[in-house]
Amino acid sequence: MILQARQLLKTRDLVWAWTVRTLRGRYQQSALGWFWAIVQPVATVAIFSVVFTRIVPVDTSGVPYILFSYTAVVPWTLLASSLTDMAMSLVQNMNLVGKIYFPREVLPVAALLARLADFGISFVLLIALIMIYGVTVSPEGLLFLPLILLIQLALILGLGLGSAALNVFFRDVDPLLKLIIQIWFYASPVLYPETLVPERWQGLYFLNPMAGIVAAYRDVLIYNQLPGDYLLPSALISCAILLIGYWFFKRVEFQFADII
Amino acid sequence: MPPVLRFLNVTKRYNLGLTRTSLPAIVSQFARQALKRGDESANGKKYHWALNDVSFDLEKGQSLALIGPNGAGKSTILKLLAKITNPTSGQVEVNGQLSALIELGAGFHPDLTGRENIYLNGTILGLTYKDIQKRFDEIVAFSEIEEFIDTPVKRYSSGMTVRLGFAVASCIEPDILLVDEVLAVGDASFRQKCIDRIRALLNNGTSLIFVSHDMGLVRAVCERAIYIEHGRVLHTGTSNNVIELYNQILEQRRKEKMNRSGESAIDGGEAEITRMDVVDSAGNSVTETFGDQSLEVRIHYTAYRDIGKANALVRIYRSDGLSVCIVRTHIDEFSLTLNKGEGAISVRLEPLQFFGGMYYAVAWLMNAEDSDGFASGASEWFEVKNRVAGREAQEAAFEPFRTWSHAPKALQNSTQTENVKLP
Repeated sequence: MILQARQLLKTRDLVWAWTVRTLRGRYQQSALGWFWAIVQPVATVAIFSVVFTRIVPVDTSGVPYILFSYTAVVPWTLLASSLTDMAMSLVQNMNLVGKIYFPREVLPVAALLARLADFGISFVLLIALIMIYGVTVSPEGLLFLPLILLIQLALILGLGLGSAALNVFFRDVDPLLKLIIQIWFYASPVLYPETLVPERWQGLYFLNPMAGIVAAYRDVLIYNQLPGDYLLPSALISCAILLIGYWFFKRVEFQFADII
Repeated sequence: MPPVLRFLNVTKRYNLGLTRTSLPAIVSQFARQALKRGDESANGKKYHWALNDVSFDLEKGQSLALIGPNGAGKSTILKLLAKITNPTSGQVEVNGQLSALIELGAGFHPDLTGRENIYLNGTILGLTYKDIQKRFDEIVAFSEIEEFIDTPVKRYSSGMTVRLGFAVASCIEPDILLVDEVLAVGDASFRQKCIDRIRALLNNGTSLIFVSHDMGLVRAVCERAIYIEHGRVLHTGTSNNVIELYNQILEQRRKEKMNRSGESAIDGGEAEITRMDVVDSAGNSVTETFGDQSLEVRIHYTAYRDIGKANALVRIYRSDGLSVCIVRTHIDEFSLTLNKGEGAISVRLEPLQFFGGMYYAVAWLMNAEDSDGFASGASEWFEVKNRVAGREAQEAAFEPFRTWSHAPKALQNSTQTENVKLP
């Protein structure tokens, strides 16, 4: 596996070229271009803000709801959009997979990186919001930020590689994945704080790695505190998912060209 | 030195679809496949044997053509070489960097410009950005698309796309180059350029695997060939021999279809065509000529016994496989007697009247009844050029001598006639 990871490192130029291709393809013929990267999370937050401040107020421990939800919606959008893109990445490029050999991981990884670029843009807006609302952010907390992102990327990569490979064999994966993401959204503390979940369910609740990841983003970025112990199960589960997803992908990749 | 490429008893089997579609059946079948457990021949599944016990190897700098009808297994061999798919059994060894020219433009994104696609396609083929930067100008020059380099590829003609694809794939200077039936799209001059390029790569030590139905191209670039049918290698040899065998097989099939009795087979041993030349009126060997020139096909033979009355036929093929003409001694009432020893039989085509294109000649020595051939041979490739540039080759086969006339009704007496030789 280390050897294969090194192989992937060698093909980083291809990963880069494919990422650029994906981004160009997505934004070239659109008037708003990169602006679309923020439209999705901003629109989501706008809807939530109306519902959860005017209609059903949610206790956010003093943080403005817009900031509260945007902090979670940005990483959530990264997860949801990159997983759907990754799942389709092999199937959509079957003509290439069936004709030329190159490391197959490139396609899902580039799909993820292209969404990571969107994430970067919407993250800039997040920083702007944090500054506008004058939230204090501790430097120690910021040190955790790359770690949290890494845990999230491990989770996405594992799930994305697995579903990309499985989608080659069963196209049911794509609609099924969209359904799962929808349910998963409500099972993660995006709209509401994780403290709303009853104490006795908390252990079970944090088996959802996204619960820990979202809570950690909030702790670090808007609550000026370090992530709690809850991040550990998220990290372990994410790494396990990455290993399983990658193992499965490598296991079946030689069948891709035959199935298509 | 070990061969750059080796196929050892390779078999490739495809499943012909899932036979059951219920969810539990698929899941169990899929789990078995993924984990490679369980009895593979269960469920009476149907298989397609794309390759069956195929072995061959290729040395550094050698070129090998894969010849055979559609569905014979040629593309499967290329896929196995390119590591796109794995053999069911047997061994595929590849020692060196491999570049595949299998479907041109497969790695092109229509919305990206030529420049961006060069980088994209280059990295797919295994180059780094730096490698591509170094070769960028060369690629652009070779593909002749300088003016359109910043135009999206979706606006390219198919010819431009092919040129760009070939330029990128061949600039890699790979150890092994796979070329699959892609050069047919380009025009004659670009094909010639590709052939020159492939030859230059061969001289520099690249090995070539070439798949084409264009026997002229095969002759032009390949020393050796293998003939494949139904996933089995039926014949291996020099490309001229294998092509002749292929033509014989096609001819034989055609005859069988026409329900003719009397088999056509080469006895062998009686005589041999040692060489075939294509020469001009001065007797010099020709690689390029014009349609208004004369051309002589010379068949050098060695007869091992007194054969007596015999016949010869010369057939000229264009590079796309079109049989342009057949001339036979018995139809022309030319009497031919072959005695033991060497000799040369010539037929002069004057003027040639061929339209621009690449051609080659094959010849057969036939028995007195003109029913069986006992020796065959083929010439090198020669090109017929058009006198006036700008006319695409292979839009026509012939450029006949001609006379135009025009008779307007009002002036019936003064018919305008002008003799025109070939332009």
